[in-house]
Amino acid sequence: MSVLLDHLPELWQGLLVTLQLTVASFVGAAVLGVLVTAMRVSPVPVLRALGTAYVETFQNLPLLVLLVLVFFGLPEIGIKGPPMATAIVVIAVYQAAYMAEALRSGVNSVSKGQAEAARALGLTFGQSLRLVILPQALRTVVQPLGNLTIQLIMSTALAGAISVVDLTEAAKRVNLQEAQPIAIFVGSGLAYAAIAAAVGYVTGRLERRLVIMR
Amino acid sequence: MRKMVAVVAVSLLGLAACSSTGGGSNPAVPGDAKPAASGLLAKAPVADAAAIVPGSTMEKIKQRGELLVGGSLDAPLLSQQNPVSGEVEGFDASMGKALAKYIIGEPKVKIVNSASETREALIGNGTVDVVFQTYTITPERAKQVAFAGPYYTSGLSIAVKKGTTGIAKPEDLNGKKVIAGANTPAIAAIKKLAPQAEIITFGSDPECMQALKQDRGVAYVQDETLLAANAQKDPTVQVIGNPFTEDPYGIGLKHGDEQFKKFVNDWLKKMQDAGVWQQAWKDSLGTVVKGEAPAPPAIGSVPGS
Repeated sequence: MSVLLDHLPELWQGLLVTLQLTVASFVGAAVLGVLVTAMRVSPVPVLRALGTAYVETFQNLPLLVLLVLVFFGLPEIGIKGPPMATAIVVIAVYQAAYMAEALRSGVNSVSKGQAEAARALGLTFGQSLRLVILPQALRTVVQPLGNLTIQLIMSTALAGAISVVDLTEAAKRVNLQEAQPIAIFVGSGLAYAAIAAAVGYVTGRLERRLVIMR
Repeated sequence: MRKMVAVVAVSLLGLAACSSTGGGSNPAVPGDAKPAASGLLAKAPVADAAAIVPGSTMEKIKQRGELLVGGSLDAPLLSQQNPVSGEVEGFDASMGKALAKYIIGEPKVKIVNSASETREALIGNGTVDVVFQTYTITPERAKQVAFAGPYYTSGLSIAVKKGTTGIAKPEDLNGKKVIAGANTPAIAAIKKLAPQAEIITFGSDPECMQALKQDRGVAYVQDETLLAANAQKDPTVQVIGNPFTEDPYGIGLKHGDEQFKKFVNDWLKKMQDAGVWQQAWKDSLGTVVKGEAPAPPAIGSVPGS
């Protein structure tokens, strides 16, 4: 136990980086996810195809491969970002594919009559999506989005592969010095569990508040 | 069907990108021909029947007919799986096989791919009998596991891109970005000698080399033999000066098993006296380091061993 207290500064710093990664890539993934969903349900075939291609590409590549590929591959063609920014962008882009799928299932759960009514009122596609469809769709997918957010938290542990010192990487470094893997990894595991539990709690509250009685 | 095609196309793209980025610095091939591994093992000693005490760890291993070794599969020159033959080759791997021959009579080992994070736990719960994995003996680790040996002394060196100026000794790394292998002793060594250096870590040696070449850091601190092998393959990189640390590698054993520790130390002594240790060095690390095999470190000479 004392090994955790002795190295609290390093581990705390790692936890902060993990939280930064989580928040920043969640925001990115949410924005991108909504855009991709809009593309996938839009009336323009090209956009639909692009949306599908996006989802299929990023759902079918392992995140670790993407991270390493972008970090080491893009500098070969002159695009070089700092490790933290690279990690945030890659995790956001990857997670957006899953978010988009969850959102699309929400859109599909909104009855067709709603879209037709919106059209009949003279709303454009953008307006009907923004004012009628998405608000209802989002409410039905609070739980899956919460789960995806928890998955995103766990994904940030891979950022260590491209030299970002997040909680997992910090724990590895402490362990290298102290050789007490069980205390150190159980300790950092509990920190992840606490973040996940917090997200789960918020999701539960949101869902109860937003649920649509049908 | 169309979806399938898209998926295949994307993965092919990924593969192509992999090979183009990794191609220059592939570590897999220092010494494509791995000579005389079997010749080496033919010379390795076998324990007297009297040494295998009934009820001891050695006897259990002999009964099982296989030595369980915690090791790496991706450490060039030390313990690396040959993709063609499937055999694990290198200095650590040969030592593991020789120990298996000493106990069992045949070099039968099963290498459990262990990581720096899990070695202590794997030894503690009996998943592996011994660890041969550039396992530096430290007092902290000696509280968790027993160390036979040291069986080899290595040291850290600094590599830079050719033409880099202003780095001649470890203290010069202060205030600079320094690349190190994740889970290597380099991290602690840099922190000690150049506390203001920013350390960035990557999981494997080829990644560290790629990062150095892409200017993610100005220097790369790693085991001298690995760096020597890298510099030999890649003329854009050079190694600076002599090693600045001494890392004694030990054979990790279960804590408190004095009988087995003495047995392994006796074996190590025999290996060195018979010249098998020296031969193992020549076949592996000796392919990139010039000169004769160094004198092996004295057994039990390090605190913790």
